[in-house]
Amino acid sequence: MAWSPNLIVYPFLLAAIYYEFFLLVTFLSKPARDSRKRGTPTTYPHVAIIVPCWNEENTIESTTKSLLALKYPSKKLSIVLVNDGSTDNTKKILARFARHPQIKIINKEKNGGKYTALNAGISSSPEAEFIGCLDADSLVAPDALREIVSCFEKPEVMATTAAMSVHKPHTLLQHMQYAEYIFGITTRHILSSVNGIYVTPGPFSIYRSKVFRELGNFRHGYQTEDLEMALRIQYAGYKIENSLRARVYTKAPSTLRPLLKQRVRWTSGFLRNILYDYRGLIANPRYNALGLFILPFALFSMFSGISLFSLSIFEFAKSTIHSVSVAQGVPLTYALSLHSFSWFYLPFTVMFFLGGATLLITLVFIVMGKRLSNTPGNLTVSAIAYSILYGFVAPLWLIRSVADVASGARRSWR
Amino acid sequence: MSLFARNALIALGLTVLLVGTVVYTVNYFDQQRISELNTMQTRLSTDTLSLETQFALLENAPCKNISENTTLSKELSDLGDRLSFTENRLGSKDPQVIELKKSYALLEIRDYLLTKKLETNCKVKPVVVLYFYSNAGNCEDCDRAGYALSYLRQTYPHLRVYSFDYNIDLGALKTLISVEKVKPKLPAFIIQGDLHYGFTSLTDLEKAFPKNALATSTATSTIKIH
Repeated sequence: MAWSPNLIVYPFLLAAIYYEFFLLVTFLSKPARDSRKRGTPTTYPHVAIIVPCWNEENTIESTTKSLLALKYPSKKLSIVLVNDGSTDNTKKILARFARHPQIKIINKEKNGGKYTALNAGISSSPEAEFIGCLDADSLVAPDALREIVSCFEKPEVMATTAAMSVHKPHTLLQHMQYAEYIFGITTRHILSSVNGIYVTPGPFSIYRSKVFRELGNFRHGYQTEDLEMALRIQYAGYKIENSLRARVYTKAPSTLRPLLKQRVRWTSGFLRNILYDYRGLIANPRYNALGLFILPFALFSMFSGISLFSLSIFEFAKSTIHSVSVAQGVPLTYALSLHSFSWFYLPFTVMFFLGGATLLITLVFIVMGKRLSNTPGNLTVSAIAYSILYGFVAPLWLIRSVADVASGARRSWR
Repeated sequence: MSLFARNALIALGLTVLLVGTVVYTVNYFDQQRISELNTMQTRLSTDTLSLETQFALLENAPCKNISENTTLSKELSDLGDRLSFTENRLGSKDPQVIELKKSYALLEIRDYLLTKKLETNCKVKPVVVLYFYSNAGNCEDCDRAGYALSYLRQTYPHLRVYSFDYNIDLGALKTLISVEKVKPKLPAFIIQGDLHYGFTSLTDLEKAFPKNALATSTATSTIKIH
């Protein structure tokens, strides 16, 4: 068979479509349908929300106020603000809440990392039946906690994730992330129905406090303590749920540099956790969908993202060099002149239709995620930004993450 | 069967169904293209035959049909563009493409002969280029030469370019190659009867044309009439 770039592209495209169809079918399955019908909780257990802060002077006040506005019995909700050795005005701002009956403040003199701040909060809340985490740059919707608590009906559920979205996107990159996060709302909702969630994100994931007593507190986890904890829960055979309507809004990086920094931390953390500490999950029938399908596909999609991006760059360069060489000496106006339209020349290829189907299903998931979670905001610009930019930006952090893991490089948090 | 296994199987079925539908749809569009090319070729063949018959019937060539011949050449050129697109889509080894290329080469030769008759009988002097290329990978400069000729054809509408795949197994084309003594040193051009080999640049190609043959003042006319 003659060499063609399609030989590389088709398997990846088919895998992507297969994965999307799996999500679609699972979305329509009974467990997912039932989870969408969940009502408000019948009981209100004691919950402690821990907010680790490291130089969060700009956002911590609004984050704390959003927690105080939660529609949850105040006697059953405590907020633990942990200052993890901040060098800015965070300590002063936290002090303003010191007298609030629901708030407890812990000041750590030295910065020990997010997981140490979370553990300090856990240790200070022995009375809590549930422990929640909220990043200091995130805001919760008033009914978010009630929505989440109702997901803990089954005793084997050890954690529940929220419906995260980007808070007031401004730049194109933030709009791209807005659509990406909304897509994440749908996928997390679907994956939870087959117990396939492998990360309990910092913005408002709630844990049954029993899980810390049984499995231990947070660990460094290669700078992804939330992912490590989720994998530990799965490894122990417990379940992670998702609350579709527990809205939490987080601040997304506005420019490329901090975005890459954040995503390289997430992706390299995922790779290190999976490849070093939780290899036993992969291809293990004991973990059903997570082990046999979701984690292998996550690794495969990284490989496919890097391969497709590299191939696109190579093919684009090759075709540009060829076009420039062919058009050499011929006025540019000829190359740019518009030819009359005819259906005959439309690119109706297998790649065109399969690529279009993949994008269409993704967009459907994004629209579904927004509607089902009642997330505010305008999707149009975000969906366009996502469709155009994501394929170019995501491979950048994938390539750097793989390079970091391969070379053993470690990067700072921010 | 677990929910995961059931959903994975249904998803597989849906993927196969989608891929099957896409392959069918793409094949349908390709067949529509082939069908359109066949229709165009049949129409052009009939029109060419009609003109040839008029020549045979009338001792004095029907010079009033010059414009008709020009229109035919334009349509032929459009057909060539579409055929080239289809060849890129389906590959040069596709049997349908090979058959279409044979018919197209035959139409070109017949149009070329008609143009020559008009030149003799009606005292018109069209600027004619016969261009021989190869898609077999043995002609490095054929892409550049083809692009330069397309540009010249668009810039100078009175220019008539007949492109032939040197490797097509067609008796009439082999005869033309033999009559014009074209060696397999491609790309090769016969510009107003003179044989040239190789392509270096658009400027050099333009120099191969007789003086004033590419005059822009005639760009709006279709054929130079003396």
